Amino acid sequence: MIEPALLDRVVKGDQQAFSQLYDHSSTLLFTLAVRILGNHEEAAELLQDVYLEVWRKVSRYDVGRGTPVAWLVTLTKSRAIDRLRARAARGYRATNSLEEGTAAQVVDLGPSPLETQADQELRIAVGAAVAGLPQAQQQAIQLAYYEGLSHAEIATRLNQPIGTVKTRIKLGMSKLRDGLREWWNHGELR
Amino acid sequence: MTHEELEESVPLYAAGALDRTERQALEAHLLSGCASCHSALKDYQSVAALLPLGLSPTSPPRSLKATIMAGRNLAPIPAEATPTEPARPSLEPGEWMDHLFPPVAPARSLSLPWALGLATLLIVGVGGYLAWKITAQRAVDTSKIQQLEASLQEKSTMLAAVHREVGDQAKALAELRNEMHQRMNEAAEAKEQLAQREAELEDTRVQLSRQVRARTVRTPQDELATLLRIPNVKAVALTGSDMAKRAAGFLLYDSQTQNVWLYSVNLPECRAGTTYQLWAIHDKPMSIGTFQMDRGVTTHLLVKKVPSFADAKTFAVSLEPSGGRPQPTGPMYLLSRS
Repeated sequence: MIEPALLDRVVKGDQQAFSQLYDHSSTLLFTLAVRILGNHEEAAELLQDVYLEVWRKVSRYDVGRGTPVAWLVTLTKSRAIDRLRARAARGYRATNSLEEGTAAQVVDLGPSPLETQADQELRIAVGAAVAGLPQAQQQAIQLAYYEGLSHAEIATRLNQPIGTVKTRIKLGMSKLRDGLREWWNHGELR
Repeated sequence: MTHEELEESVPLYAAGALDRTERQALEAHLLSGCASCHSALKDYQSVAALLPLGLSPTSPPRSLKATIMAGRNLAPIPAEATPTEPARPSLEPGEWMDHLFPPVAPARSLSLPWALGLATLLIVGVGGYLAWKITAQRAVDTSKIQQLEASLQEKSTMLAAVHREVGDQAKALAELRNEMHQRMNEAAEAKEQLAQREAELEDTRVQLSRQVRARTVRTPQDELATLLRIPNVKAVALTGSDMAKRAAGFLLYDSQTQNVWLYSVNLPECRAGTTYQLWAIHDKPMSIGTFQMDRGVTTHLLVKKVPSFADAKTFAVSLEPSGGRPQPTGPMYLLSRS
C-alpha cells in the first residue's frame, strides 16, 4: 500500500520517501513492464525512465484522479505501450505473444518481501476476478491493456466483428469493477 | 457521439481499447464536466490499475534501485516539465489520470554507433526538433480547439434544449391564460344568469305571496268548510220572515272559542241608512252585531264572540237604522225556529 502522504513527502524532495515508494511499487511496475515488453532488460530501462519521471513530476499527482498505485500503474503502462509502438514502427518483431509472455513471467512466484497480508489478499482477489471472466473477455481486455491494441485492431487480430469485441471488453471490465469494487471502496487500494 | 455512446466508451477507454478519435471525443466530453462519466471513469481506471496485480509478480533486478536513485540525483530537481520536453498532441489511452505527463522520447539508451553519429544528428536534430515542436504545438492547439469545439457543441445543444423547453412552457402558459379568460367569461355569464334567476325567483316569490294573501281572503264557502270540521259545533237554523221569504240563515257556535258565525242567504240589500242587526233573545233581545248587505250579494257572514250563546232561546235578524239600535225597532227578516 502507498499512502498519498508518502507522495507528499516525495514532492518535498524526501529521498527516504522516494526509496520507500520504490520498494513498495517496483515489483508491481516491473511485472507490468515485463508483461507488456516481454523483456526484462527493456522493462528495467523503462522503470528507470518512469521513476525519474515520477521524481520530477510528482507534484502534479492529483489524488482526486486516482490512488498513487493507480497513477504509477497507468503511467508505467502508458510508457510501456509507447515503447511497444515505437518498436513496432521500427519493424521490431515482438517476441512475446500472450502465451509466451505469461510463461516467461513465471519466474518469481513468491510474494515480494515488502508485501503485506492485505496486498496478498488483493493480489489473489484480482487474480480470481480475472480468471473468473470468460476466456474471450479476458483475451480482449488483455490485448487492449497489455498490447495497446484498439478495439478495431483486436477485431482484426481475432477475426471478430468490432461490436463483439467492444461488448466483450465492456462486459469484462464491468464484471471486474463489480467484483473488485469493495477493494477501493474500503480504501484497500492505496 | 451521443452521451450514451460516450458513456459506453468509458470502460473501453480505461482498458485502452479506444482509437484516437474516440479517445479525443470522450476526453472533450470529460473536460466539459460530465460528472457521471467522470465518476464511471474513476471506477474503471481503478479496475484497470488493479489488473497487473493479477499477474505473477516479477522482482526487478537488485541493481535497478541504485541506478534509479543515482539517476534521480542527476535529474533536474524542479518538479516542473523541462522546456526541452516535446509536447504531445493528445492523451494516451487510459491516461486521463496523468495526462499532465507527456511521454519522454522513446529509446533512451544509446549504443556506440548512435553516439558516433550524434554530432551530425545533433545539428539536423535541433532544426528538426524546432520544426517538429512547432508542428506538435499546432497539433496540441488543434486538439484543444477540437475539445473546445466539442464542448461548445455540447453547450449549444443544451442551450437549444433549454430554449425549446422555455418555448414550450411559454406556449403552455398562453394556453392556460386563454383557458382562464374563457373560464372568467363563463363565470361572468353564469353570474348574469344567476342574477336573472334571482330576479325571476323574487318575482315568483312576490307572486306566490300575493297568491298566499289572496288565499287568506277567505270566501264564505271556505270558512263554512272549515267550520264544519270543528268538533261539537252547535248549529241553529234561521228562516226568512214574510219580509223575505226566500231568505235563510244559520248560526254555528264553537263552544271552545265562544265564536258565533252567521250565514245568511238571499237577504235583500240594505237600503241607504239601514243595517241588519243580529239579536240573541233570552228574556229580552240582546244585540250580537250588525252587518251590511250590498246589491248583488247573496251570502253574508258575521263572526262575533258570544259568551252566553247557550242561554239564548231565539235568534233574529232585523233591519235597523245605521249603527244599530239597543232594542229591535225595525222589521224582522230572519228568525230561529225554537
